[in-house]
Amino acid sequence: MARGRVLAADAAARAAGVRDGLRLSTALGLVPGLAVCERAAGREAAALEALACWAGRFTPEVSLAPPATLLLEIGGCLRLFGGAEALIAAALAACGSQGYTAAWAAAPTPLGATWLAWGGAAAIHAEAGGFQRALAALPAGVAAWPAEIQARLAAFGAATLGDLRRLPGAGLRRRLGSGVVDDLLRAWGEIPDPRPVFVFPERFAQTLELPARVDAAAALAFAGQRLFAALAGWLNARQRLVRGCRLGLIHDDGGTTELPLRLAEATADEVRLGRLLREHLGRLRLAAPVEGLTLAADDWVARPGSSGHLFDLPPAGEGVMACLERLQGRLGETAVHTLGLAADYRPECASRAVPPGNPSSAMAVPAGLRPLWLLPRPQPLAERAGRPQWHGPLALETRPERLESGWWDAGEPGAPGDARRDYCVAKNPLGQWLWVFRDGEGWFLHGLFG
Amino acid sequence: MTAAPLPAGLSEVLARGDVWCGDTLARLPEAGIPSGHAQLDAELPGGGWPRGGLTELLCERPGIGELSLLLPALAALSVADGWIALVAPPWQPHAPAWAAAGLALERLVVVRAGRDAAWCCEQLLLSGGFAGILAWPPVGLDARALRRLQVAAEGQPTLACLWRPAAMAATPSPAPLRLVLAPFAAGLSLHILKRRGRPAAQPLTVTLPRSGKPRALVCPPFSLPAPRSAAPQAVA
Repeated sequence: MARGRVLAADAAARAAGVRDGLRLSTALGLVPGLAVCERAAGREAAALEALACWAGRFTPEVSLAPPATLLLEIGGCLRLFGGAEALIAAALAACGSQGYTAAWAAAPTPLGATWLAWGGAAAIHAEAGGFQRALAALPAGVAAWPAEIQARLAAFGAATLGDLRRLPGAGLRRRLGSGVVDDLLRAWGEIPDPRPVFVFPERFAQTLELPARVDAAAALAFAGQRLFAALAGWLNARQRLVRGCRLGLIHDDGGTTELPLRLAEATADEVRLGRLLREHLGRLRLAAPVEGLTLAADDWVARPGSSGHLFDLPPAGEGVMACLERLQGRLGETAVHTLGLAADYRPECASRAVPPGNPSSAMAVPAGLRPLWLLPRPQPLAERAGRPQWHGPLALETRPERLESGWWDAGEPGAPGDARRDYCVAKNPLGQWLWVFRDGEGWFLHGLFG
Repeated sequence: MTAAPLPAGLSEVLARGDVWCGDTLARLPEAGIPSGHAQLDAELPGGGWPRGGLTELLCERPGIGELSLLLPALAALSVADGWIALVAPPWQPHAPAWAAAGLALERLVVVRAGRDAAWCCEQLLLSGGFAGILAWPPVGLDARALRRLQVAAEGQPTLACLWRPAAMAATPSPAPLRLVLAPFAAGLSLHILKRRGRPAAQPLTVTLPRSGKPRALVCPPFSLPAPRSAAPQAVA
């Protein structure tokens, strides 16, 4: 609804007699419970820009024709998508999953394609002859000319664009002004029609308003997927890969919940982002119902170029990094890690957890015999007749190895501190190989040789 | 009456791929990973640890050398740029020992899975990117979960080992290879409970390389040097 008049109505309202251009009071009289929304031009423009970002997946040359038209230059990417039919089918399917219905046409000139789409052509006109015939058959009212010009055209008796083109150009220019004639020439491709190319924003930040309040976290996955589709388009157009993004949940009480999504490996794959989001949402408890989502991608890297393989088949499965990322999403970031060495003689400090995908520093491995497993903290052992006991008396297999280190963090909370220990490999009667040590306080079990 | 003709085509029939003789080991579509122990390789179908199927290793208590048995195979996988995952390990892995065994630490993933160990294993198997997965599933892992894991492992180029208590030996399992490990003088005694092919007759023994020599050493009494805090005072 705009300026007190109905602008668009859904099928149910139309069935009740609501027509475009009707006064609001009349419409409310027809349908007392009519849900009325004021037209918001700013939000329409934002939606068109969001859609332009999303369209970056198909072509880098997108231009906007406000209020509601998007022009994609597809001549250069037909081969990539396997022909115009395949490209348009993919675009329409993706457009549907974005929640929009599109009237479309493909034609050699941007203005011609726009008019054909407005006229509901839904056809591909690749060659000039068929395209010009289709254009000539369009009613003259299709073009977005002012109402006064439309009225004069009707007075001329020119019902279609073809009729209009047959009238002498000079006279038409004198009577209607240059705009109409130039538009005709542009649509037919007789004068050039350069369009400003949509500049993909430097930073990606989009907001999506949900049609209804959502109480269950899992239900947000679908809406999140729409934002990820726009992000994937933006990443594709700017030749970037995202490493981390922030999803904000806007609650109906005005609060926001931030959900940081970290990726183990930079990607532009919206499906992978969607899977990661589902793992996070599975753990999330909503503080309040959600009425909108925001997505901001602030951690991105330039996409490295790579050649596709001619004969190799792509590997089955999603690959290591994508899998680890999902495990991290479900179990927590610290629960999945690779190992690294640390330059410390104390065994409890010699390993460290490294996030997957980071190379561990090259370091010399200590020479002594080390166990594969380390107990979280040394376990005191009983001593009988001078021999430590653990499921029976232990037999020592090696000479003691003295480790003496760590004076620098003695007394610090959580640090093992100054250690002076004699380590031995020991075996118990059950056949277990153990790593035990003795210090001033007695015998301790510290590890197992698996 | 003449004697029945000799089955002349018997050898041809036996040479067919889909005819299986009761006294041979199955041939696997993919060669196994050499275990590093010749007598064990001879007893395993495929000539080594199998890929694309679960391997159950049952042992009474940890620390008897059960991991050392696998280390040569794991090191070979890791050297060939393979990823190894440890799912729900019983203790924390000590990085220097794994590095000394020849594993690349940046491709050794530790997953603290908690109750989700079976789910994690399935996901790791399905990802198709791992060369080896060692999992310590919770004790109450049911047959259904095992079946899911076996289905996930089929066709993947992954060595998938499950460590389970020896008490599970009597419970049937869908894993095509099951071994019971027990300590033996300087190594392990292996009893192959189940394998593809004829059943194993007797346990075999494997010696594990240990740098320690089996002799009882008497540890010298623990002696501490003079406390270090005395030194600065002496300087002062």
